[in-house]
Order: sequence, then C-alpha cells, then structure tokens
Amino acid sequence: MKRFVFGALSALALTSTAALAEYPEKEIQGIIQWGAGGSTDTVMRSVTPHAEAALGGTVVMQNMTGGVGAIALNHVVGEDADGYTLLMGAENPMLYKIMGLGDKDYNDFTPISILARGTPMLVANPDAPYNTYAELMDYIKANPGEVRFGATGPGGLPSVVTAMINTIEGDLDVISVPYDGDGPALTALQGGAIDVMPAVLGAAIEGVRAGKMKPLAVFDVERNEKLPDAPVVTEFNAAFETYLPWGPFFGVFVKNGTPDDVIAKLQAAYAEGAKHPDFVELMDNRGFTMMGISGAEADAFLSKWQQGTAWLLQDAGLAKNSPEEFGIARP
Amino acid sequence: MNFLTVFTQPQLLMLVGLGTFAGVYVGAIPGLSVTMAVSILISFTFSWDVYPAISLMIGIYMGGVYGGSRTAILLNIPGAPSAIATALDGYPMAKRGEAGTAIGVTTVMSFIGGFIGIGVLAVAAPVVSDFALKFQPRDYMLLAILGILLVGSLSQGSLLKGIFAGALGIAIGAVGRDPLTFTERFTFDFRLLEGGISFIAVMIGMFGVSEALLQLHHVDKDAVRQKINRIVPSLSTVKKHLPLSLQTSTIGVIIGALPGTGGDIAALMAYDHAKRVTKDPEREFGDGAMEGLIAPETANNSAVGGAFIPMMTLGIPGDAVTAIMIGALFIHGLNPGPMLMIDQPDMFWFIVGALVMANIFMVIFGLTGIKLFTKIVEMPRSVLIPLIMLLSIVGAYAVNNSITDVYWMLGFGVFGYFMRHYGYPLGPVILGVILSRLLDDNWRRAIISEREDLGRFFEGIFTSPLSLVLFIAVILIFVSQTPLWTRGKRMLLGRKSESTSK
Repeated sequence: MKRFVFGALSALALTSTAALAEYPEKEIQGIIQWGAGGSTDTVMRSVTPHAEAALGGTVVMQNMTGGVGAIALNHVVGEDADGYTLLMGAENPMLYKIMGLGDKDYNDFTPISILARGTPMLVANPDAPYNTYAELMDYIKANPGEVRFGATGPGGLPSVVTAMINTIEGDLDVISVPYDGDGPALTALQGGAIDVMPAVLGAAIEGVRAGKMKPLAVFDVERNEKLPDAPVVTEFNAAFETYLPWGPFFGVFVKNGTPDDVIAKLQAAYAEGAKHPDFVELMDNRGFTMMGISGAEADAFLSKWQQGTAWLLQDAGLAKNSPEEFGIARP
Repeated sequence: MNFLTVFTQPQLLMLVGLGTFAGVYVGAIPGLSVTMAVSILISFTFSWDVYPAISLMIGIYMGGVYGGSRTAILLNIPGAPSAIATALDGYPMAKRGEAGTAIGVTTVMSFIGGFIGIGVLAVAAPVVSDFALKFQPRDYMLLAILGILLVGSLSQGSLLKGIFAGALGIAIGAVGRDPLTFTERFTFDFRLLEGGISFIAVMIGMFGVSEALLQLHHVDKDAVRQKINRIVPSLSTVKKHLPLSLQTSTIGVIIGALPGTGGDIAALMAYDHAKRVTKDPEREFGDGAMEGLIAPETANNSAVGGAFIPMMTLGIPGDAVTAIMIGALFIHGLNPGPMLMIDQPDMFWFIVGALVMANIFMVIFGLTGIKLFTKIVEMPRSVLIPLIMLLSIVGAYAVNNSITDVYWMLGFGVFGYFMRHYGYPLGPVILGVILSRLLDDNWRRAIISEREDLGRFFEGIFTSPLSLVLFIAVILIFVSQTPLWTRGKRMLLGRKSESTSK
C-alpha cells in the first residue's frame, strides 16, 4: 500500500512537471461570464476554435452567469493558476469595485488577449419626434420627465453613456427603465415601451438597416464605416472628445500567478485565432473594432479604461464607492 | 423550394433524425436541458456548413421539448420545466398502469401541437411578431398575474395551502442579486445565495426526491403492472379532443412568440385553460385526466414554432434556445435581424422544413420503445427509488456543474416531502418560482415608465386595448374563484343548473 501511494505520488509529480513542459496536456476550461447567445458568448465561441487549432489543445466552454459576471470571475479566482481555467469576459469587472459588486477585478488576472472593442450609439424608436442627437436634447428640455431611456443596470453601457451625456449637457430629466440586457431593451424599443436606447453598435445595426430603429448619434470621434450616414456625437458637441473613443470590450484572461510559458502559449494561440479571416469578418459585420492586444499594452488599456470610466461614473453620482478607495487615480 | 431541401438531402435528413433522437433523451433527463445541448452544439458544429448545423440543433430542440414529458409521466420528475403540468395528470395515469397510453397520447398530441406551431410560423409569422411586440411591461405583468391565478387550478384540495405554496415559490425566485439594480435580496450576506437559487434544482428536488421519499412508505408493495395493449390513441380520441388541442396550441404559439415567456408558462396556462373549459372530464384533473395531458403537451410543442416567429422576422429570440440559435447564425456568417427574411428567405423556408421533419421524427421515436420505457415503472421499488435519487442528483449537478445545487435540490426534496405529507401542493411552488421574475421585473418597469404614478399606470391600462383585455381577464378569473361568484351564479341560474345536473 505504502509503495503504491509513493508510486502514485511520484507519478503525479512526474506528470505535473510534464504539464509545465507540454502545456496543454488536458482539456482547458473556458468560463464565459455571460449567457449563451449573447455578444460575449458569440465572440468567444467563434474565436476559440481557431485558437484551439493554434494551441493544439481543447478548450471546453461553459456559460456561468449571474451577478453581472461576478459569479464567473470569482469562480476562476478560486481555481488554480495553472492556465487550465480561462475567464472569458467583457468590460464589466473593471467597475465591480466602485459599484459594490465585488472586491476582485481584472487586476487579479493576466490578459491573454483583449480581442475587440465595441462602439456605443444612441438609437430611437422610428416614430419618435426627433431625428438627431441635437433634436433629442431640445425635446428633453421642452418635455422634462417624458422621454424613456433604456438601461441595463449600474455599470452597464447605457449607464456610462447616460453619465457622459449628463456630465456634458447638464442633468437630463428622463426616465430610465431597466432591462436585463441590450437585447431585451432593443426589443422593448421596437415595441414602444422605451423611446431611446444607448446600445452597442453591433446589437443595433440590423434593426437600423431595416428601419426598425433610427440612429441619433454614434458615440465615437469618427463616423463608423458600417453606418456612414449616422452622425457622430462630436459633430453635435465637441466636448465629448474628452471621453471618446470609449466602448465595451471582450477579453480572455488567466489568474495572476499562471506560469509565464503557459501565458505565452495562450497569448500566441489567441493572437493567431483572432487573425483568422472568418473571425475578422464576423467582428466586422457586427461593427466591432479589432484590438488583439496583450501584455503591457493590454494592461495599459485596462487601467486607462478603468480610470476614465470609474471617475466618470463617480462624477455623475452613480458610483457606490469612490474610485479613490481602491487607488484608481483620476485620469 | 428550400422548404424541400431537408427532405431531399439524405445527410440533412439524417442529422435532423439524429438530433431529434438525442433530443428526446436529453430532454427526458432532468437537469440536462435543450438550451445546454444546443449551446454545446455551437462549438461542436463550428466548422460545419450552416444547414447541417441548424438541422442538428432543430432536431435536438424539437425532440427535447417533447422528451421532458417522458420522466414526468413515468417517474413524476419533469425532464424540463415545460413538462411540469404533464406530470400532474401523466403520473397518476402511470400509477394506474396506463403509462403506455399516456406516452402515446402525449406523443400524438405533441405532434399535433408541433405542426400547428410550425403552420403559424410559416403562414403568419410577420403578423404574430407584430402582435408580440405590442406587449408592454404592464402587459407582461398582467400576464404574470394571470399565471399566478393558476394557483387555484394547481392546488388540489385546499386553496389556502396552494396560496402558501405559490407565495413560497415567489419568495424563492426573489433570492439573490436583483437583476435590475444588482442589489442583494434575501441573501443574509451568504455568498452562496448571491447568485440566487437554481430553479431547476428546486424543481428536481420537489418532484424527484420527494417522490422517492414518499415511495419509501410503500416499499413492500408490488409495482403497478402496466397495460400496453393500446399505445397509439384511436382516431376518435384524437377527434374528440381536437377542439381543445387547437385552443391550447394557440395559447402555446402566442406565449412562445412573446420574447419574455416560453414553453413552461405556455404549458401551465394551457393546463389551466383545459381545466376551465372541460365540462365533464372522464376522470378528475390531477387524477389522470386525458385533457390534463393533452393541454400542456400541445402547448409546449406549439411554442417551439412560436419561438421561431420573432427570431426569423425580427432577430429577437422567443426563448433561450432561439437566443442561442441566433448566436449560431452569427457565427456561421449570417446576420439575423429584421433583414434576414428579405436578404435570405431561403433560410426561413429551410428552417420551416427542418422543423416539419423534426416533428415527424419525434412521433416515430416517441412511439417506439414505449414497452421498454414502461418497464421502468414496473421495476421493484428497491431499484426504482435509488434510480430516482441518482437521476435527481446527476440532473441537479449538471445544470451548473455545481455541488451547491445538489445540496439545494436535496434540501428542497426533503422539504417537498413534508409538504406533500401534509397536503400542500407542489405545483404552485414551481409556478411561483417561474413567474417571480416576470412579475417583479415587469411591475417595476411598468411603474418606473409611468414615473411611479399609479394614476398614469391605470390610465395606461385603460387606454390600451391589449392591456384592458388582459386586465378584464385577470378580474374575471379572480372573481370566478371567489365564493361570492358561486353564490351569485346559483342565485341567478340556481334552479336551472340544478335541474340539469340532476
């Protein structure tokens, strides 16, 4: 018996050193922060098979939803830092601390790849009595408390866009109606339950093309080639240049402490996967801007994103905790 | 033209068949859901062409919705939430030795319901989706209240106990981070409660484990011998129930097409409808009434066609499975949205064709192997009880790969046992959990939209025809369940109805 245990232990020791040498030697778990069929899910399920080919391993993806993605993030934090559990997420964790949703964020993780960035835009029901961003602002001032904006909860894209508008235009007297995500909110927009929705361009583009919703402004500094006729918000008010370009992003992460060679392998695999023409085309169709960054560049991007957004929400009075408490410097 | 694609290409035909076959069994195992199976298939079929990938998914979907009824009838464990109502009358039939008949009726009725759903999708998709979009938050709220009133027909026996069970369900559904503001509710600072309580775990525990515990009382009794001489229902049976199945299928299509509701609510509403319109059932509801089986099964299968309606016409998912299929279409380079029907009408007709084929396969796989399945019920209890427990544990674990869910499931199982022991119905608990969020979220959306002004809220109800109809339905159903109504009815028509009944 003793000999068996010893044998088993040494075998285990051997395999674990071998694991370092030839990662991956077993299936890798990919934990997707959001539900099946959503944007994050679609992005991850379309890039990962190409990355798998480059990696020579298998990534088993699983959706773990709840708590704005915090359930999935906490799950991955609880696993070993061996590169066998990947976190596949969106931008939300960078706001957990100031929103009081958790004490962990991407600072506890090493970015494998920040794949792409989305562009926000403001869309309205086609019957709405305003056609541009400027007309909407005038309408809100003339009819306080009448326009219904869709929202997706604190820290979501609509709350950040609304905070930007409030900071620049002064507080708007609108009604903010919460939905589970931009999908259900855009459905409600088409049914007339809400009037205006700040959404990511990729989610609204098909509706705009079909005339089921109309674009009021794209929140970027340059017009989007997917919707060249839609004006950008800086054409109406140059003050937005302070905050733009801004957008949600998608990324793959591993827990801090993962061996460097494993990180390097994963980074190379996802960099390769993100270049695949099928994936590039998919992202382009949905109006996402490809990024494909990792390492120091990704860290810099994340901390800049966090500073800008956290302080924007703090200044708009939407943050639960001040960014200062967590050492997030004012940009 | 593309409608026929699936029939003429043997490869696609085979994939639909394979999918349907797998779906029937995935659907039958509680915890393994169609949603899960389809999302796994996305990665699996990644490198395929879009037609084969969609064929396989549609097969799984159609088969899975039907498969949920299997374990509901045989073991009283609904394989999926949409089969909860099926268990109410299906299991009593199995206990009488009529499991074969129950499965036969379920299969044929699912087939009919499935076809009605597909028919509406093919013929009237744009009209139905326009109608579905008209539902405002207040209408969803009224629909949820209408659902809550089903407690009356789901509580066999004491209404008071039914209300208690329903309220418990609503409370369970409210645990965790509130999805609109992310504030914690009823979590008492336990991290475990933050994500809420898995509703599937509650369902499996309440039905499966409590059943196993209850059976321990009769462990020495012989199992019921199953009669399997008549499996396929006769034409006259089908004909007799055709009006009912048409009505319940309509309920299924509409509830299925609404973006916020799916087959589970459709099946429960259809069950309630059947109970209301069936004047003199051959057997009481809850005691093995044929109507109680027909209604939910036609409704949940017609909801499949219904769920595709907003997906194909607007790119809006009708339920969780169609949400994943939209993702699949994106991955395969299509752009699902309002333009899909215009840019690629062939895709629409291909999907209709695949659904028709899956429905046909469903009836074939459904009607074969029944003899083998009914043997499950004939097993000695010393084998059956551990089997139920095993199935429950595996099912609860499979939902989120979480051992916590297994603990919840076992806890609710023991609780459910005591509830049944003291005559509390379990149906309303599940109903409450299902409707909790629909009611809560939409009430808040509705009142926030009206700037928290009740006056404006009611003004909204009375100025919208749709809301007004739903509101009146709520009032009527509510009043018809009060003693005042029965007394009033007797006073008005008293003599007449008494004389006819005697």
